[in-house]
Amino acid sequence: MVESTSRAVVGVFTYMDDALEAVKNVKAANLDWRMYSPVPRHEIEEVTFPQKSPVRLVSFACALTGCASGWALAILCSLDWPMRTSAKNIASIPAFFVPGYEWTILFGGLGTLFAIFAFCKIPSVVRAAGYDPRFSHDKFGVVVACSAGQVTDVTKRLQTAGADEVDVRDSL
Amino acid sequence: MEEKHHSKKEAPVTYAEVNDTILKMLEPPGTGWYLLLFTCLFFLAIGASCWFYQMWSGFGESGKSHPIGWGTYITNFVFWVGIAHSGTLISAVLYLFRAAFRQPIYRLAEAMTVFAVMTAGLFPIIHLGRPWYALWLMPYPNQRALWPNFRSPLLWDVFAVSTYFTISATFFIVGLIPDIAAARDQAKTRFRKTLYGVTSLGWRNSHIQWKHYTAAYLIFAAFATPLVVSVHSVVSWDFAMSIVPGWHATIFPPYFVAGAIFSGVAMVITLIIPLRKAFKLERLITPFHFDAMSKLILMTSGVVTYSYITEFYTAWFSNNPYERFQFWFRPFGEFWIAFWGMTFCNCIFPQLLWVKSLRTNIPFLFVLSIFINIGMWLERFNIIFQSLTREFIPAAWGGYNFSWVEVGITVGAFGWFGMWMTLFIKFFPSVAIVEIKEILPPPMRNEGHGHGHAAVGAGH
Repeated sequence: MVESTSRAVVGVFTYMDDALEAVKNVKAANLDWRMYSPVPRHEIEEVTFPQKSPVRLVSFACALTGCASGWALAILCSLDWPMRTSAKNIASIPAFFVPGYEWTILFGGLGTLFAIFAFCKIPSVVRAAGYDPRFSHDKFGVVVACSAGQVTDVTKRLQTAGADEVDVRDSL
Repeated sequence: MEEKHHSKKEAPVTYAEVNDTILKMLEPPGTGWYLLLFTCLFFLAIGASCWFYQMWSGFGESGKSHPIGWGTYITNFVFWVGIAHSGTLISAVLYLFRAAFRQPIYRLAEAMTVFAVMTAGLFPIIHLGRPWYALWLMPYPNQRALWPNFRSPLLWDVFAVSTYFTISATFFIVGLIPDIAAARDQAKTRFRKTLYGVTSLGWRNSHIQWKHYTAAYLIFAAFATPLVVSVHSVVSWDFAMSIVPGWHATIFPPYFVAGAIFSGVAMVITLIIPLRKAFKLERLITPFHFDAMSKLILMTSGVVTYSYITEFYTAWFSNNPYERFQFWFRPFGEFWIAFWGMTFCNCIFPQLLWVKSLRTNIPFLFVLSIFINIGMWLERFNIIFQSLTREFIPAAWGGYNFSWVEVGITVGAFGWFGMWMTLFIKFFPSVAIVEIKEILPPPMRNEGHGHGHAAVGAGH
């Protein structure tokens, strides 16, 4: 995030390459910006967010926790209530593979869900200024936060990139 | 009637068309939808009444008696878990393999998975007779310091099915979020605006959200893929871990997994054909998709047929008189019609799909898919009933009479499943908006820079 700002300049684009050009322009000017698109695409990621998402680390950590928990549950419960079946060990490793396996997936999946919530900042009741319902339909959007004095420059940058329309709103 | 391939002269599908076509499905329902919903509710009421009657009057009403301890309810359980399977295959496994035909059908398949697991999960509870003791399956601290037996395949089932439901429901809901946001942005009524406003969780399609979302979605697919293999393998161990003739076989896990995918894809076809017709989705769900699903059915039919043959061969080769008798009894015994019905529906009839024109013949596929589902129910009937009626000692052999309570609960299960599907298709996008857009070429001022491919509608 950059300095505190008071205006949001919203550029609406029909073409994805125009929107990406606008992102490159505002990035070069070191402005605070956000891009909206109706669909995720690699071309957009390459320009807007080339780093790897940390979601995978959360998933991995949760999956390991689940694996350890599944095995621990089965082993500790069996030791607490030792029930000898035929000549099988109380802690039957092959049989306990199933709880361990299932909980690896269960904890990993739930961890991934919480990672989405945390990194995507959802659920959110805040209405993002600059968001336009057309961004979930067929338009791309680039929203730039700037001070009142920068509005003209930012508007020009978005129009030069090929924005269909540019609108100025209160803040990002 | 064979449908013609999508003409290349037609205008390409656009982002706007995808939104408008799919969201049109959410418009206020007509008489047909209400009729369907009330039919499902009627069947559900029959099932619920029978279940309450069984609880009131006793488990003897279920028709189960020595030697059949596992009857229709466990058959239904395995059947519905099997139906659930292909949803995860289509949504997760085919996602990892980047199969282009999955996009228009996967949402419906996922919904089918979640609702089928919800249906399947009822049956072990109904089968308990006293469903309020279902809690005892859970490993929770209790006064007597008792824990469930972790070496029992029945407890493995609890872990497998509950994990499967949780993960498939999560995967399903996460996939829905951006599409619900699209519905929110185009909602017209106050009710719809509130419904989608709340359930879209404030999703805004920002580049940061998409980055984490796509990473997470891939991981979900990676987690869900081993579930496809594990869940029905664990279900098959309910049988294979015992020594009952006809059950004690190492081929059961792959045999069950293939059978589950076979029946699940058939159920997807059964559901998607009327949906495509009713909501005019012909430009999104093309003959290309039916052709691909038919090939999947053909392949899994081959695996299932091979498994049936292997069972017979193993019984003969084992020189075990009980196994040999069981596999003689199935085609020529008391329930021969179930065996030959299964063989026709699962092994013989699907072979017609080798004919290319039949793979895109919609009425034929609809009929075939229903036959396959009947065949797969009969397969579970053969495994469970036939093996239990003829175990080891002739003195312990017995027969089985279906009770009207069992039939009512079976019908009720279809009502329960149908009710959820009917509600879902009218309130949430049952075709994935974002994923269909992903396979379209993006709008570019400088053509040729996008990496999209027009699988939808191109019919290739």
